[in-house]
Amino acid sequence: MKVDEDKCIACKRCFPYCPMGKIQTFKRHEKIHGRVYIEIDQDACTDCGMCLRADICPVQALYQPQEEWPREIRGILSNPLIEFKGSQVPGRGTEEMKTNDVKGTFKPGEVGVGIELGRPGVGAYFRDVELIAMAMMGANIGYQLAEENPVTHFMSDKTTGKLRDDVLGEKATSAIIEGKCKLERLPEALRALQEAAKRVESVFTVEVITKVTPKGEVPIKAVLEKMGIWYSVNTKNNIGIGLPSYDFYGTSK
Amino acid sequence: MTHSLHRRGDYECLKDDFVVLGCPATGVNKIGSAPKTQKYLSIAYKCGPINLGDMKTGNIHNTTMADILSRVSDGTIVQCTFDNRDKIVTLLKELKNDRPGISVIISGVTDVVQQCMHEAGLGYIHSLEYSLGTWGHTEMLPDFPILKTVTMCGHAMIASDLVRKMVRDVKRGRRTVKDCVKEMAECCTCGNYNLTRGERIFRDLLPLYTVHSLY
Repeated sequence: MKVDEDKCIACKRCFPYCPMGKIQTFKRHEKIHGRVYIEIDQDACTDCGMCLRADICPVQALYQPQEEWPREIRGILSNPLIEFKGSQVPGRGTEEMKTNDVKGTFKPGEVGVGIELGRPGVGAYFRDVELIAMAMMGANIGYQLAEENPVTHFMSDKTTGKLRDDVLGEKATSAIIEGKCKLERLPEALRALQEAAKRVESVFTVEVITKVTPKGEVPIKAVLEKMGIWYSVNTKNNIGIGLPSYDFYGTSK
Repeated sequence: MTHSLHRRGDYECLKDDFVVLGCPATGVNKIGSAPKTQKYLSIAYKCGPINLGDMKTGNIHNTTMADILSRVSDGTIVQCTFDNRDKIVTLLKELKNDRPGISVIISGVTDVVQQCMHEAGLGYIHSLEYSLGTWGHTEMLPDFPILKTVTMCGHAMIASDLVRKMVRDVKRGRRTVKDCVKEMAECCTCGNYNLTRGERIFRDLLPLYTVHSLY
């Protein structure tokens, strides 16, 4: 996001709407005597577009220029209105468990592990995303990256989790690493994340996905409890009414 | 994309907060899904959501239901937010009898969602996603009462500074709590912000801050 210095009157009305918080500075206009405008820190801004959508600027000084690669990935991952063409899903991730009843992405014995950096409201540089991705791939647990995810798309080496060098200095409101591994490797995956959490310069949320058994058991619950890892009472639950249904247990054969 | 997963709060705070998504599956039922998604949306709308939207179009607080419905295309993901478990049971009964043909996902307290599914005769949850919380430099996060508000927008479009500004505005008599809640709902394009819970949380956090402490 940028500010037209000839229009801006430095009223500060846009300041509170910025999810990254306090990334603006005041500048004295060089050509118009006595005029002050605001300048947005382009390194800290994630081009999420919230200040523009809030429609709060009384002089329409805010504008979002068309960005070139690699800067354009900030908007792709941060602005909820922009669709990543690789996944064809609006937003920064994939369908993950939302369509599991139809697609069978996470089968019994598998666990989805997602790591969303920068969330909530802190933001993350891709050098941190790379750190976490490489920690997961380096754990040698057979972590299979989700192909259609934007972060996977930005990797130069999908076997190590290495990201393209030209994106490492870019920042997003949130960037999510998505993949899955076998249920028995979940403790190793979480231990790798615990270690990586000490080195990362931002925050990240962790999510795990499981197919619930026909008897209503949640296979990953025991693993989390044994490891003493906190999990929320609030979950995302696929109720299994999508059509056509995926045959998880081969019962239709 | 897990934007309705990481809502923060304890059982009491979250037990009447549900986000119900309708999502077609890429490569399976996405082509030709627009009428199915519209059907889901119409069924959900009848059950009285507090918020509803599609992230590309907006939500019912910054556009109209007719606009959202008319702009649904193949692949659109829609979300409806509810503030009452009875409405969820009604919705699930309707969906059981008249399946729209796309996947339906409920974000909410697991036990409550499971009870609602049993009451609607839908059996057990099919697949489930847990939030394991926030890791790393958690000292960078805002105070927990503010975090409860900002995490209701999973895309983090409700800025913590905006919540603080709203507190200042209310304390100075510049706007009402309801105005503040509506504005936060407008920032959350997808319609995940639960206005009923949002108002409750906002009223709870008002006495925690003095105007001076928020600068």
